[in-house]
Amino acid sequence: MRIDFKLNGKAIFIDVPPDRRVVDIMREDLRLTGTKESCGTGDCGACTILVDGESRLSCLMLAVQLQGRDITTIEGLAEGDSLHPVQQAFVEHGAVQCGFCIPGMILSAVDLLDRTPKPGRKEIREGLSGNLCRCTGYQKIVDAVQAASSLPTKDESVS
Amino acid sequence: MRNVFLPRTFEDLWETLEKEPDAALYAGGTDLLVKIRAGCVDPPCLVCLERLHALQGIREEPDKVFIGAATTHSRLVEHPAIREQFPVLVRGASVLGSPPIRHMGTIGGNIVTASPAGDTLPALYVMDAAVEVRSAAGTRILPIREFILGPGTVDLRKGEILCGVWLNKNLEWNVHHYEKVGRRKAQACSVASLAAVLVVSETFETEKARLAWGSVGPTVVTLQEVEDAIVGKQLSNETLNAASTLVQHGVSPIDDIRASAEYRRYVAGALLTRLADYAAAPIVSMNGSRL
Amino acid sequence: MKKTDQQDQVEEACGSSAARHVPLSVGASVARLDAWDKVTGKTGFAADYYSDDLVWAGVKRAGVPHALVKGINFAHAQSMPGVIRVLTHKDVPGINRQGVIRKDQPVLVDDKVRHCGDAVALVLAEDKAALEKAINAIEIQYEPLPAVLDPETALEEGAPLVHEDHPGGNVLLKGDLTIGVGPEAEKECDALVEARFETQRQEHAYLETEAGWARVDDNGMLTIVCSTQTPFRDRAEVSECLGLDAGRVRIIAPYCGGAFGGKDGVTVQTLLGLAALHSAGRPVKMWWAREESFLAGTKRHPAQMYYRLGAKSDGSLHYLSVRLYLDTGPYDHLGGVVLTLALEHAGGPYRIPNAHLQGWAAYTNNPIGGAFRGFGVPQVTAAIEQMMDMVAHKLGRDPLDLRLRNALKRGDRNCVGKTLVSSTGLKECLEVVKTHALWRERDRWKSAAVSRKLRGVGIAAVMQASGYGPVVPDVGNAKVELTLEGKIRVYSGVVDMGQGNASTSVQMAGSILGQEAAHMELVLPDTERTLPSGSASASRCTYTFGNALIGAAEILKGRILQRAADLLMAGGKEEMTLVPGAVRHLKTGREFPLSRIAQFLNNSERVATNHFRAPVAADDLGIPDDLRLHGLPHTLFSYGAHLVAVEIDQITGAVDVQRCLAVTDCGKVINPQIYEQQIQGAIGQGLGYALCEDLEVEQGRISTPDFSTYILPTAMDIPEMESVAVEIYEHTGPFGLKGVGEVATNGPLPAVANAVADACGVRVFRSPLTPERVLGAIRKV
Repeated sequence: MRIDFKLNGKAIFIDVPPDRRVVDIMREDLRLTGTKESCGTGDCGACTILVDGESRLSCLMLAVQLQGRDITTIEGLAEGDSLHPVQQAFVEHGAVQCGFCIPGMILSAVDLLDRTPKPGRKEIREGLSGNLCRCTGYQKIVDAVQAASSLPTKDESVS
Repeated sequence: MRNVFLPRTFEDLWETLEKEPDAALYAGGTDLLVKIRAGCVDPPCLVCLERLHALQGIREEPDKVFIGAATTHSRLVEHPAIREQFPVLVRGASVLGSPPIRHMGTIGGNIVTASPAGDTLPALYVMDAAVEVRSAAGTRILPIREFILGPGTVDLRKGEILCGVWLNKNLEWNVHHYEKVGRRKAQACSVASLAAVLVVSETFETEKARLAWGSVGPTVVTLQEVEDAIVGKQLSNETLNAASTLVQHGVSPIDDIRASAEYRRYVAGALLTRLADYAAAPIVSMNGSRL
Repeated sequence: MKKTDQQDQVEEACGSSAARHVPLSVGASVARLDAWDKVTGKTGFAADYYSDDLVWAGVKRAGVPHALVKGINFAHAQSMPGVIRVLTHKDVPGINRQGVIRKDQPVLVDDKVRHCGDAVALVLAEDKAALEKAINAIEIQYEPLPAVLDPETALEEGAPLVHEDHPGGNVLLKGDLTIGVGPEAEKECDALVEARFETQRQEHAYLETEAGWARVDDNGMLTIVCSTQTPFRDRAEVSECLGLDAGRVRIIAPYCGGAFGGKDGVTVQTLLGLAALHSAGRPVKMWWAREESFLAGTKRHPAQMYYRLGAKSDGSLHYLSVRLYLDTGPYDHLGGVVLTLALEHAGGPYRIPNAHLQGWAAYTNNPIGGAFRGFGVPQVTAAIEQMMDMVAHKLGRDPLDLRLRNALKRGDRNCVGKTLVSSTGLKECLEVVKTHALWRERDRWKSAAVSRKLRGVGIAAVMQASGYGPVVPDVGNAKVELTLEGKIRVYSGVVDMGQGNASTSVQMAGSILGQEAAHMELVLPDTERTLPSGSASASRCTYTFGNALIGAAEILKGRILQRAADLLMAGGKEEMTLVPGAVRHLKTGREFPLSRIAQFLNNSERVATNHFRAPVAADDLGIPDDLRLHGLPHTLFSYGAHLVAVEIDQITGAVDVQRCLAVTDCGKVINPQIYEQQIQGAIGQGLGYALCEDLEVEQGRISTPDFSTYILPTAMDIPEMESVAVEIYEHTGPFGLKGVGEVATNGPLPAVANAVADACGVRVFRSPLTPERVLGAIRKV
């Protein structure tokens, strides 16, 4: 089945079985392995992508659901050599250990900051509660998101 | 390989269901796709309802609100009309799953899955929600208590879908409560839950009450005798402690991997006593005026 | 194709131009060099290796806990569309037994299945769907055997045997140690406390499940890329089982997506190798689904512990009796090492002059007990630290003061009689807790509890040995190179599974060689390119490999400076110094770029290697050889003291950890940010162990087989944590460091248990302290 959608800013189309999982399309068909799989049942968040800007679990999405959507994976977040502020904050604040949860965690954080530009630490924890991490104990991840949220937004810095 | 249909109109949908009467329907997929992976169900094909605009969104009428079945939990909790009119539903939907699950899962899915632990269900019961069921042949509306027949079972026949939920506006309630007990603070399958809406006087006397418990019976449990036991009395530890014994007799929990029946039974009763916290400070009514 | 064509990959030290000119100083919180690629999704984990023409391999697992295999019917499966081949034990060319110490685990079952996750057949298929269908179509004929389901009954006379050929019956390893006068000392005690503790099975739950990719090339070289903690040991096991020369097997270990001990031992490696031998040169991929990782992966040993602790009225501990039973499942998997570490730590970090310590690691048909961060120490720490509170209560003493009074210091003997020769900062850690506001103001905090809430504060002292003990050499071999481009390339011998040792290595080497991140390169463990340096485990990586690396870096530095001095006809290398990217002659100010110096060094001179072997205990404590082999005694320990403040909800029994403090002595800190990462992560796993994680097994079958039933802590479940480093210089450590990987995992459970007992007056002796268990305790009051 032919499916047309936007991926990381570019219009593309794929030809796949309609029930192919989006996480498999990303990883196997498009060789974008930044999106991870860790449970396949929607319990861990490692497969998080942005669908029309909203965080969703690609292990529970089927190919047909991509039709007409604007998809962002972790590979599409940085602009050239410039890291997204959330990515930069994760690097600086020691939020990355083994790294397997990180793509999903970062995209969930991006969604969170989009909805709540200046979240408190409790709100950050709530916003990331769908992304499991086994290495960090979450604290430096919260530090990073808080730091990223206190940076001027695009609108603020233009003025 | 299974075919997955993505109807955009009711016409598309009826046509598809006519051709594929055994298709499994889903909107968010957070329940169905997990069941398919586990081998619990093996439908010949799937129908995804996420693009059917008629099933999306919230419609406000003078004394009712209609919530489209394919409205996601996150859209629901953000909507001003829902936040204003039905805080108890917002509380339930806010603790369901996790943020990405709430961006995908829908109220219709939560109802049709009919898990005893469904987080929107106790709220819908205390609000006396009605569900609208539609087919090519027409529409019927029935109370949610009659729609949910048992764990995982609803009154949906072949060719029918859950179209949406009707809620009556009621600004009377001034206590809106939902507490969910789980094994952790997020992404938890509830082991006991209580939704409550109350009308409480300025001297903290309970004038009206609707209570509903989740995860302590095959479906949501409502207990008239408990409501009767607290109405006309002070919203106090004494009243609630006494009533909690009635709760323990009224619920029928099971043992499972998450909790024992004994724990669930005790907690179901004890949850009632949390309502005494609302008598600790003046209650603000829904139209904003302090009592 | 991204990764598989770049098997000789070299990591640049960092991916951002902004960080390139960051100096590498020991003691600074230099941002981890792997972070850039991880935040952009570029890092290639073993699970990320795909190829064109890929073959998918998967395993048919037993599904029953104990049964003779009478027949394996796979003809139908093999004929299904998309199926290439089905392999059984008959296809294992070498020795069909694997294991680190005792080789008792088959690659593919030949005689009987010993746990539900046992691998019975290996399927090769064109795609995942065909693979799954074929696996489901394989039928195994079983003759069920009575299952051994509990470690204590496993030891009884007449219990069914898990391994008929094992001379110890169902005993994998046992220990019986008497220290001082042993049980005779019990009657000399003025206060005696007795209790039974039960700790649960814990799942590693690394986010990257067991995964790998393999291929046999035209020269017959078998290359395996896998998520592992032990590439060199894997090579030995794979070659032995597949009947290949070790030289024909190459293991590559990229950044590993979490391990915590669960990848300390063969998981996918041999199966991948076997599949690759039958795929006609096509690359093969195996990646365990989460459900399979639950079923087949190793677990933390559940423990049943019987403790008696006696003290004198002056507060000095006098006698300890311990009987502990570890359920090690059906295979060795380092279960003996878990037992010896448990025995060694059974008395905690205290002076106890008399003891009788007994322990058994028993074979059962339950899931495999294996290596898991802490290795037996979390279990016994949960016991001894609660016993300390109970003794304090009996004596009417403050629990912190009781610990201070008995705390080990350098020169003391620990509970197995080992003299402490290395840095011992326990007292200092306890003093920090004592003066901390959370301890000083605990009564005020507790009395502020609102209605329906109970508050409590609990502490625990912890210790953790590092290394392999007195017999198995704890060795690191480091290699550093001055490349022709003038970069310093560090060949890391130990796997980085998230603990950041790759970054720490680059930081140490860079610091010695005066270079910035921009001038450093890293090669991750690869049996073809890096040198054998042992497992990424036992809190030894930075200590052992770091010591080797320092030597290698010094050798290379000396060579570079000497060659430069000779070329410049300078007085000696003392007149030369390394600056970023160059060598400078201090007297004249003349500079030579490193790339230039490299040309004046022969290839053999540009590479420096160095070997380090960790010191071992010289004490003769009369410990039997088998226990010594498994690690008793160690000689280097890290220490700590933990405090938690909890609030219990009286309606639900839920325990909310509101404050958390960990004070740790791991020697000098090389990178404070990485140090904190380890402490915080360990506390996170420790809190899961304390409150919500329980890998439940009934009749040999796992009843919590996925993430909806096995409860891991989310970001909302772990509180804000405070970490304080007590930096006491360890003379044998690289820059004064000791291992930090495990020690903090031991604190949370006993601290929480003590806090709960403090809050409600009733102790919960079984972990995890679920709301249901705690509510049960509260309702007794």
